Amino acid sequence: MLTFRKILFNLMAWSIVLAVAFPLFWMLVTSVKPGFELFRRPPTILPETWTFEHYWKLLSETNFLIYFRNSIILSSATTLVVVAVATLGAFSLVRFKYRGRESLAFLVLFTYLLPSVVLIIPLYLLLVGLGVSNTIFSLVIAYTTFALPYALWLLRSFMAGIPEDLESAALCDGATRMGAFRDVILPQLLPGIISTALFTFILSWNEYLYALVLVNSDSSRPLTTGVMNMLISSFNIEWSLLMAASVMMSVPLIIVFAFLQSYLTRGFGAGGVKG
Amino acid sequence: MTKRSILSNSISRRTALMGMTATTALAAMPFSARAQANTTIRWWSPQGAPAQVAAYEFQIAKFQALHPEITVVFETTSDEGYAPQLAAAFSSGEVPDIVTHLPSFAVQSYYANGLVEPFDDVINAIGADDFYSGANDVFRTADGNYCGTGIGNSAANMMWLRKDLMEQAGIENAPTTWDEMRAAMSAMQTGGIYGAPLPYGSNSMTSLIFIGFIHQAGGQVFTPDLQVAIDNEGTRNALEFYREMREFCPPGATNYSWGESLTAFVSGATASGIYTGRVLANVRDQNPGIADHVTCVTYPRISADVAPWTFNDFPSVFIPAQSQQKDAAKMFAAFLFDPEGYIQQLHAAPGHVLPVLKSINENPMYQDNDIIQKYPEEVDVMAAAAAGGFNLGYESTAHASNDKAGEIIGSNVIADLVQKVVLNGDNVDEALSVASSTIEGIMQG
Amino acid sequence: MSRQKTLLERRYAALGLTLIAPTVLIFSAVIVYPLFSAIYLSFYNVFTPTLEGEWVGLSNYAELLQSGKFWNALKNTLIWTIGSLSLQLIFGIGMALVLHQNIWFRSLARSLILFPYFISTVVAVLVWKWLFNDLYGILNHLLMKVGIIDFPMDFLGTMPNAMISVIMVGAWKYFPFVVIAVLARLQSIPDALYEAAKIDGAGPIARFFDITLPQLRDVLVVIVMLRAIWDFKEFDLIFLLTGGGPLNDTQTLPLLVYQEAFALNDMGMASAYAVVMMLIMLVFMIVYIRRTKDDEGS
Repeated sequence: MLTFRKILFNLMAWSIVLAVAFPLFWMLVTSVKPGFELFRRPPTILPETWTFEHYWKLLSETNFLIYFRNSIILSSATTLVVVAVATLGAFSLVRFKYRGRESLAFLVLFTYLLPSVVLIIPLYLLLVGLGVSNTIFSLVIAYTTFALPYALWLLRSFMAGIPEDLESAALCDGATRMGAFRDVILPQLLPGIISTALFTFILSWNEYLYALVLVNSDSSRPLTTGVMNMLISSFNIEWSLLMAASVMMSVPLIIVFAFLQSYLTRGFGAGGVKG
Repeated sequence: MTKRSILSNSISRRTALMGMTATTALAAMPFSARAQANTTIRWWSPQGAPAQVAAYEFQIAKFQALHPEITVVFETTSDEGYAPQLAAAFSSGEVPDIVTHLPSFAVQSYYANGLVEPFDDVINAIGADDFYSGANDVFRTADGNYCGTGIGNSAANMMWLRKDLMEQAGIENAPTTWDEMRAAMSAMQTGGIYGAPLPYGSNSMTSLIFIGFIHQAGGQVFTPDLQVAIDNEGTRNALEFYREMREFCPPGATNYSWGESLTAFVSGATASGIYTGRVLANVRDQNPGIADHVTCVTYPRISADVAPWTFNDFPSVFIPAQSQQKDAAKMFAAFLFDPEGYIQQLHAAPGHVLPVLKSINENPMYQDNDIIQKYPEEVDVMAAAAAGGFNLGYESTAHASNDKAGEIIGSNVIADLVQKVVLNGDNVDEALSVASSTIEGIMQG
Repeated sequence: MSRQKTLLERRYAALGLTLIAPTVLIFSAVIVYPLFSAIYLSFYNVFTPTLEGEWVGLSNYAELLQSGKFWNALKNTLIWTIGSLSLQLIFGIGMALVLHQNIWFRSLARSLILFPYFISTVVAVLVWKWLFNDLYGILNHLLMKVGIIDFPMDFLGTMPNAMISVIMVGAWKYFPFVVIAVLARLQSIPDALYEAAKIDGAGPIARFFDITLPQLRDVLVVIVMLRAIWDFKEFDLIFLLTGGGPLNDTQTLPLLVYQEAFALNDMGMASAYAVVMMLIMLVFMIVYIRRTKDDEGS
């Protein structure tokens, strides 16, 4: 009886999981179908002919690898900057007492409210003024506009979950505030930092609108807009290349996160998110 | 009512300065190759398919070999992206030095706001006589200059047909009138094959194609002196016919844009298509089985009395006024029409972008292409139709050029009109009066 | 002693300010400046590519409040945000509960569930458009094969299908965020609480409402706020999926801002829309934070 219920539960759970992941499956299938099989009606569920020509074409004939490199640099740099700044900021907001502390936190959230569409042009003027337009670095700056508020709020709630006694104990033992931060708080905060870093990385990896407008040279264009520009025009959509590109864009992330997902979930658990 | 730059005064000052130095330089040496050492010019285009980029790279390499002091950097923008990108570029003063493949009305709008360099000397350098007659009219501006030229022609609303399906359905000739078209669609719509992939979506394709239908019904959107005139008999007839056509279009046509519409015909899902010559290359690559059966004609009209109206968005070349390398850019712009490279560029999408120069069309090198040789009649029909083509910025030879056309298309007002009447069954009078006043509002800006 | 303490406190306050300084600096540069220019531009009639125009005072705002476009877009934005956010929460919490159980290949299942959140919106939209396709789309094919429908369904071009599709894709894309957060919190709820409830004779449903939900409250408060803001501002997904159609029925406020700014080249009007949008979110946020704070106190 118990095993029957267990099997039933498992079957149900897995059918939901597979339904959610179906688009991934379909992406894979489409990417290995040759061009002429794509528009078969009705569609073939499994490809009649398998081909990896689309992958090969992307890697050998297009700028895919350059875009990929740009995306890696861009997302890592954004993550690094944002997490570093936000960790210090969150430490200050949670563990120090000064006037305007609460309102500062809300101001941060407030800036998060403005739709990015209107931020673009002023931001671009600013970047031109700084002399960094059309570079990966300019996108790093742009991405902080949405990633920093997000990271700051997440880290703030993680930080709030760390018992204050630990820090006080260290201070009594004669540690400085920064010393206590390094030796006591950072290790406790690590899961929170990792999960915030992962979220920031995902956000930067997937951003589209800023990348579309702010950067226009192939040497600094990330994957999202690079692939779109290359494969989609109003005249044509290169479906099989697009699906192959999508697979190659997502699979590395999925593999990395499969390894890191325990950190991702543990991070939230350890901190305990507090508004 | 003084106009002033809002976020940065220095930019307008700089622009003015740049304008001055550029004019003096031009007066002295319009096309001398004495550009400074290590000049870099940036070239933007939304047409960045891999085959096209390869052709561009070829042109760049050849140009750089002739002018070692100049480096050309090609950068793709996209159809969705160019408006905000150019807005950012213009407002910051960091502009590309040459832009290609934007529709003519976008260039007109930028020119009207002082953002584009007059192009007359480049046209002369290419050879004004070599253009098809009237090919540059669409780029003539209110002040008599040209704001750019066409890098190609496109006949975007050709009717594509499957001869095999016509034969099966017992249709002898390609339809030329709406009555014939209705009969043909209904005869060919069998066995899961739909008649036509007409767009009914909230997008620019629907607007652009429907403007064609208005003209094919003898109507117009504006009078020649640019008074709003969309509420006319032709528009009403076009709306009625467009509604009747709905049952011959696939269910998803309510969200179709160019890509979906093209694919529907190429894959064999519809018996007719509405597109440029891109169809030919796509048939070859994606569905070679029907390659021997496709042909094209100009789109049918309400009656044989109405002349065909071909939509040509006139893919353009222009040079932003703020460019600091205008001499080099002009030299390069003229060089884009150098036969060897230009033909390679056209061959990257044969039949899709058609030559604007007579000498190129006659050039054996241009004719030496498998698609152009396989479909000589179709290519000729398209070339003739495109050369006599129009768009909303230039509705007929009598019309003044309309620099608000881009905004009207962008507002989706015409697509909305179609959707209201066809999909929602709204009252035609009401829908037309809303459309009229919306367009009126945009014209007053 | 007390003087010393204040000295220390003052030194701490200074350190605290130093630590927050980079954040404040970055915010002033990249957000506050664009923010003020947006407010500033909203009083002008501005041609986007030149950013030139004349002062028009509040007339952009007057026009905006009178136009049906604004109210229509606001309505759509609310439908989309509420619809998609509630589905995200329901699916998210439900799936987290399932994945918290010991099912077969649990870590594989978790990775697969998180996948929609990992892929870029652009990719997600394209894949869904491909699935939704009326002619070659697998979804229509399967539905017809099973016999649920006789003709291909028009997922994106008619109402209410278009709004439902957009909401469903949005929920699919973003529910893993909720799963991650809730799952993490679930793992830290002490088992003892459940044991005690079991002894008291509480069934699984009662246990969920009496123990799980109250424990999740703090996480959910933050999730709802971050997701609500994010959904309210969502642009890519809707823009790429329907472009606002059919007939502006899925046109949300961010799409309207984009259209005004870059299709109609009217940056002043676009900024006015954006400012109003921000005010609406601000009101919601203040009310929300008050409410959740009050609850905590009681």
